[in-house]
Amino acid sequence: MKKRNRAGLFFLLPGVVWVLCFTLFPLLYSLGLSFTDKRIGRRPRPVQFIGFENYADIFSDNRVSEVLEMTVFIVLGSVLLTVVLGILVAWLFNHDIPGLRVFRAILTLPIFAAPIALGQLGMILFNEQSGPVNQMLRAIGAGTVYWITDPWSARFAVLIVDVWQWTPFVFIIVLAAMQSIPDELYEAARLDTSSAWTLFRKVTFPLILPAIGTVTMLRLVETFKILDIPYTLTGGGPGVSTQTYSYYIYLTGLRHFDMGYASALAYLLVVVAIIVSSIFFWRVRERYEVQ
Amino acid sequence: MQTSQLISRRTIEHTLLWAAVLLVTLIALYPFAWALITSFKPQRDALESSMIPFLQFKPIMDNWNAELGRTGEENIKALKNSAIIAIGATVIALTLGSTAGYALARFRFGIGNRNLVSWFLSQRFLPPVATLIPFFLLLQRFDLLDTYVGMIVVNATFVMPFAVLIMRDFFADIPKDLEEAALVDGASHLQVFLRVALPIAGPALVAAGIICFTFAWNEFLFASVLTVRDAQPFTVKIISTGTVRGIHFGFVSTRLLMAVVPPLVLSLFVQRYIVRGLTMGAVKG
Repeated sequence: MKKRNRAGLFFLLPGVVWVLCFTLFPLLYSLGLSFTDKRIGRRPRPVQFIGFENYADIFSDNRVSEVLEMTVFIVLGSVLLTVVLGILVAWLFNHDIPGLRVFRAILTLPIFAAPIALGQLGMILFNEQSGPVNQMLRAIGAGTVYWITDPWSARFAVLIVDVWQWTPFVFIIVLAAMQSIPDELYEAARLDTSSAWTLFRKVTFPLILPAIGTVTMLRLVETFKILDIPYTLTGGGPGVSTQTYSYYIYLTGLRHFDMGYASALAYLLVVVAIIVSSIFFWRVRERYEVQ
Repeated sequence: MQTSQLISRRTIEHTLLWAAVLLVTLIALYPFAWALITSFKPQRDALESSMIPFLQFKPIMDNWNAELGRTGEENIKALKNSAIIAIGATVIALTLGSTAGYALARFRFGIGNRNLVSWFLSQRFLPPVATLIPFFLLLQRFDLLDTYVGMIVVNATFVMPFAVLIMRDFFADIPKDLEEAALVDGASHLQVFLRVALPIAGPALVAAGIICFTFAWNEFLFASVLTVRDAQPFTVKIISTGTVRGIHFGFVSTRLLMAVVPPLVLSLFVQRYIVRGLTMGAVKG
């Protein structure tokens, strides 16, 4: 038995060492940085330990409340819309029609496209003068929408691209959950009702609820990280209206090289990620046990 | 009388469902289709809403020639960098992921396997900006900025959870009889892993490899900070498409297609693994 366990460690250790070196160590490093005034500039100066000063600064930083407005908008908007639309499309594809599998594969394509490229695509699709979106809107008489120069329109442009990319993600997961529901349950329920809505509400929905919970949490952490799409679509503008929290950390740390403060900002996000991931793994970890 | 009514009701339902399915598919494909068509248009036609080649506009190869041909050397180099980084990261992730996945599926550890798996996978939840600054400082310190080595290490770290999860699930699902028989015959654990378990894991390795490759290929944030020129991948290259006269729709479309096509094509081969892979095993697909 002892020998067996030693062999197991031999297989496990390389991966563990890698994660310790390249995930845990950088995380501790940035925790350390967050208590200093580390900054890269023309004139090098000694780094000083400044305690919780960076963290205190966050609460008096006006920019933080500005970027939080966009962050809350995109997180709530995108999670809500992708989940609702994803369930709708999954319900549509849960019908027993030959040929649907091919369409299912096509629908998953946006997930695999680089977000940075989709931001570029959004930039030309939402181009104010000659982009196809505004051309269509003008054709139906809705007039010109200033997707790039109007703050709220720009926020919606980012939201639309993000929702377009991630609805398929919710869709395939909810669809997988729907398809694992045994047919007998539906047959039994059909004896009482023939309404599709009642079937969905009484049979399908309760059984896909755990999957919806999982996917909501995954979407939540993913949207907190959003940066690529606004980076190319709007460049964070107009002004700072499409700058997300992650985007602000990036600019603070790697454009203005205020690394101590950026690390403190990032750590607040790490805390949020730790909370969400703890709930997530607490719910699903039983599945990781060996039989 | 009643059956014919039933049939016509089913027909209407089917027609409506198909209409909805086609509408959803159109929405998913339209942006890609638009970019594809625009990549064959001259700039002045790109500003029109014409969609049908030959009939509404004369398709040209200028954009593709410019982006890939004689003047496109930099693009080719960036694509090559992307491939080297993504393949390097995938190889490391698969090596570490299949050994760790095997360990987590076959051996029982004191800390609890479920805790270990969670620990491996939790990395996916971390905001990347949090480790960006330490990585920048460390690579700068060891003179590894703008090198393949630095980028491969970073990307391997990001994509490893997918490899660990998919390989663990695969090994946990196959019977261990064969491996136990080999052990009784006196083979070592390493021999059993290399000669018995790994050879049948081909499909899972390919799926894990494709998912790892895709996410490494698409990575932008770290690449934009840690590379300057020599190791700059294509995701960073495509953001510099602006010209002094504004945005050239054709060039932008061509470039973004080059960025998205490889992963999109590969994704069609991993449909079976997408759900488990992307939900950290929480939902069975």
